[in-house]
Amino acid sequence: MSELKRTQLYDVHVAAGATMVDFGGWEMPVQYPEGIVSEHLYTRHACGIFDVSHMGRILVEGKDRFAFLQHVVTSNVGALELNRSQYCIIQAPDGSAVDDAYLYCFEEDNLWLVINAANIDKDLAYLTPLLAGYDCKLTNISAEWACIAVQGPKSKDILTELSGGEPLTVEPIKNRLNIVKLEGRTARIARTGYTGEPLGFEVFVKSEDVVWLWNRLVELGAKPAGLGARDTLRMEAGLPLYGHEMGVGPDGKNMPIFAVPLARFAVSFSPQKGDFVAKDILAKQRAAFVKIMNRDFSAIEDLPYRIMPITLLDRGVIRAGMEIYKGDKQVGWITSGTMIPYYIAEGEGLESVITDAVAKRSIGMCYIASDTLVDDIVEVDVRGRRLKAVIPESHLSLEAPPFARPLIYGTELKKLEAPVGDGLAKALTLIAKAERNHLWRQTECINLIPSENTPSRAVQILSGSDPNFRYAEHRKTKAFYDKDIFYYQGTKFIDETEQLLVEEMKKYFGCSEVETRVTSGQMANTAVFSSLMDFKNRLDRKNDPKRLGYVMNNHIIRGGHLSAQPMGALHDFIAIDPKTEQNAVVNFPVLKDNIYKIDVEETKKLIDQYRPEFIIFGKSMVLHREPVAAIRQFVDEQKIPTTIMYDMAHVLGIIGPSFQDPFAEGAEIVTGSTHKSFFGPQRGVIAVNYKEDELKYELWKTIERRVFPGSVSNHHLGTQLGMLMAAYEMNTFRKEYQAAVVNGAKCLAKALADEGLAVEGDPAIGYTETHQVVVSVGYGQGSEVAERLEQNNIIVNYQATPDEEGFTASGALRMGVSEMVRFGFGEAEFKKTAALIAACIRGEDVKEEVKKFRSEYQTMHYCFDDKTVENALDHLAGIMGR
Amino acid sequence: MEHLNYQFSRDHEWVKEEDGLTWIGISDFAQNALGDVVFINMPEVGDEVTAGDPFGDVESVKAVSDLVSPVTGTVAEINEELLDSPELLNSAPYETWIIKVENVTETEELLSAAAYEEFCETEA
Repeated sequence: MSELKRTQLYDVHVAAGATMVDFGGWEMPVQYPEGIVSEHLYTRHACGIFDVSHMGRILVEGKDRFAFLQHVVTSNVGALELNRSQYCIIQAPDGSAVDDAYLYCFEEDNLWLVINAANIDKDLAYLTPLLAGYDCKLTNISAEWACIAVQGPKSKDILTELSGGEPLTVEPIKNRLNIVKLEGRTARIARTGYTGEPLGFEVFVKSEDVVWLWNRLVELGAKPAGLGARDTLRMEAGLPLYGHEMGVGPDGKNMPIFAVPLARFAVSFSPQKGDFVAKDILAKQRAAFVKIMNRDFSAIEDLPYRIMPITLLDRGVIRAGMEIYKGDKQVGWITSGTMIPYYIAEGEGLESVITDAVAKRSIGMCYIASDTLVDDIVEVDVRGRRLKAVIPESHLSLEAPPFARPLIYGTELKKLEAPVGDGLAKALTLIAKAERNHLWRQTECINLIPSENTPSRAVQILSGSDPNFRYAEHRKTKAFYDKDIFYYQGTKFIDETEQLLVEEMKKYFGCSEVETRVTSGQMANTAVFSSLMDFKNRLDRKNDPKRLGYVMNNHIIRGGHLSAQPMGALHDFIAIDPKTEQNAVVNFPVLKDNIYKIDVEETKKLIDQYRPEFIIFGKSMVLHREPVAAIRQFVDEQKIPTTIMYDMAHVLGIIGPSFQDPFAEGAEIVTGSTHKSFFGPQRGVIAVNYKEDELKYELWKTIERRVFPGSVSNHHLGTQLGMLMAAYEMNTFRKEYQAAVVNGAKCLAKALADEGLAVEGDPAIGYTETHQVVVSVGYGQGSEVAERLEQNNIIVNYQATPDEEGFTASGALRMGVSEMVRFGFGEAEFKKTAALIAACIRGEDVKEEVKKFRSEYQTMHYCFDDKTVENALDHLAGIMGR
Repeated sequence: MEHLNYQFSRDHEWVKEEDGLTWIGISDFAQNALGDVVFINMPEVGDEVTAGDPFGDVESVKAVSDLVSPVTGTVAEINEELLDSPELLNSAPYETWIIKVENVTETEELLSAAAYEEFCETEA
């Protein structure tokens, strides 16, 4: 046998007391003295580091590098932009895997292909002859570079310490990359990994730097983990290992690529790929896969077995090679399996706590008949004994960063305790609880949710009056010169108040047309998106309508509004870009030194490049004015045909000199919610500034049709009535209220900063230009701090900042001042509020102090407080509900 | 050290006589070689065990290993604590017995602690 190869870290492993084994011709650490279980657990709750320098690093160069790779790997390499990476499979002509691999684009003029250590020679021998005819070169650079996988919830903190606070990758998203200096040494960092950790990096450094990096990582709290833990971690995450879940199967035949669940993402049939290796066979596998997923097993012979997770229910341990049975019939084999530890979590939902207690479960993966379904019970032959097992959906969830969370099969959530007694008893309980809740939120809490506002008593009472139970539908009818025709009787009062509301809102916006029937901001957006798509296709009704693309918006992780995202209201209207095979969305770039603000110059470049047909301003985490005027001027000068919309969900109530005036600045469409900074009950609104002689007035007419009958029939007539009162209030008190809101937010921000809290945004402008204030409380601490504040009667949102991975990793609080401004809060009160928040965050109990403080601010301002109004409302309320 | 009074089999089990029963466990060398023990299969009380034959197995994350009985006899007790906490075999191998055997009719040739240590050195 030839001599075993060693990585650049061999001596470090031996010195650390690692047990070294032969792994595919490499002498590698299988475990360190603490053992596999401890290394696995440490990676899951802190940070494990893995020497993956043995893996093959192949430099791919030449002008045909993309064309070559499109031909020999399964993914759409054309989608690989700078600073992105991509999982792919090197396919054999028979539709099985030669290897699985990762492609990295760290530089404009080359790609790295990273392959399994044991397959380096085999892969190169396979790929090299295929280079013929391509201007493309493969160079094995494995010896020049080393790689450490840094995985686990603390990995980001540890590496960020080495980067001196610089972001590690261009965005905090999987598969993003960057070249970064770590204490002066160049590192190529990828947000990739093989552990299933939501936070995980692979760090490539020059061979001479790797011992330094390893030791620094250990000094900063990372622990070495060997191949043993790497295997249990990837198994728990359901990630395939070549030789187990790919390559030659347990039946002795090559496993088809579509047997692996990852194939769905790793195999592309994009037209850009042209005629690639095994295209037809893979297409056949995919067709079988699609049928199987639809529980049609007529093509099962094209994909007889699939890789699925498996959990042993009886006591024992499953191991690779064991046979799986349903009754007497063998249906598959275990491909990977062992006993895997996890920390037990107590409690439910966001409040669940990961304890120190460890349990173990025997789980793994199997190659099993493709008609097997999730929850199927099977038997595994464990050395002669038949043990019961089940096919779970998955073993691990990455949905709640920073932790990967084990999914324990059979866990059931506690059922809500239903109130006891008969209907009468339940009714009384409900009323009593509603009263308690009302008093709590309305009189005892400092409400700082920026999406909320308490409407005035007049708005509340009107919203609950008779129209709340009525029905109305209406549509402009050409035959009657566009007079609105109502379809129900008894609605003349509703018709009148709706017309008045439209006029009041036109006055508020300073625009030509307003639609008030949408019942939420999200519905307003859906109706507009649908209208734009309909308008785009209006001259061709005989073909499938074309979706919108490109659309420019604010990215959700930078505060973009959920309803303006493909996962929100854009979902059914956004095109797929055939090049990237992703939604045709491009995001506003932000300033490097202020990630809350759009970078106008960079935005212009992207507009020039993508020519977006639709530009959506507006955010839900919003500290700044949006550069509407600058972008309007640019697209007009460049004659770029587009539509500019401003989703003012949050800032609808501060339109004007205190904030900004969207139509005056050149927005064509404004949508919003009526209940955040505005005074209304919960509804939506759409406003446009098209004139009747403009071509796009037709778009306005489309919007009216997509609202009714497109989105609503009956349009919640009670709150529409309340909304009219809110519009009266706003148009009367607008100037003072808006100034008080923007000033109040600046006061709160400054006071919080003075209390020593990390207020986000630019101090030079008072941190905020809106009703919102954002405060950092520490990575992943947002929800815990928000919960503690709630227990102390201060109600805020926890919020992920632009460099955090999702809502459970939220490290910030988002606050808005509009509601408390209406209850009379000014500079002194926001100072006091900041002091209470800071005390609560420090751990003090301030609940009673908050209650007492709040009790002094029970009067609603910026509404009609005349005695005559009071009397009229008393009278109206007195006859309601009788 | 207490285990100096134990005797050892060449299959890395330890044996001691106490309360009229033969106690059997695995040696420190064995647990170290296995790595993290995550599961154990044991016989039931009343089962017969035979010197030189497996009476159960221990599983680490990496592999399964047979437990080979150094004696022939009847299982009097099994250590049920190990069903939930097999890691005791790692943390305290000499305090952790696996089975106790009665009616022992045959015992294979066992090594003293010192001889076993020497044996392990040649194994390693």
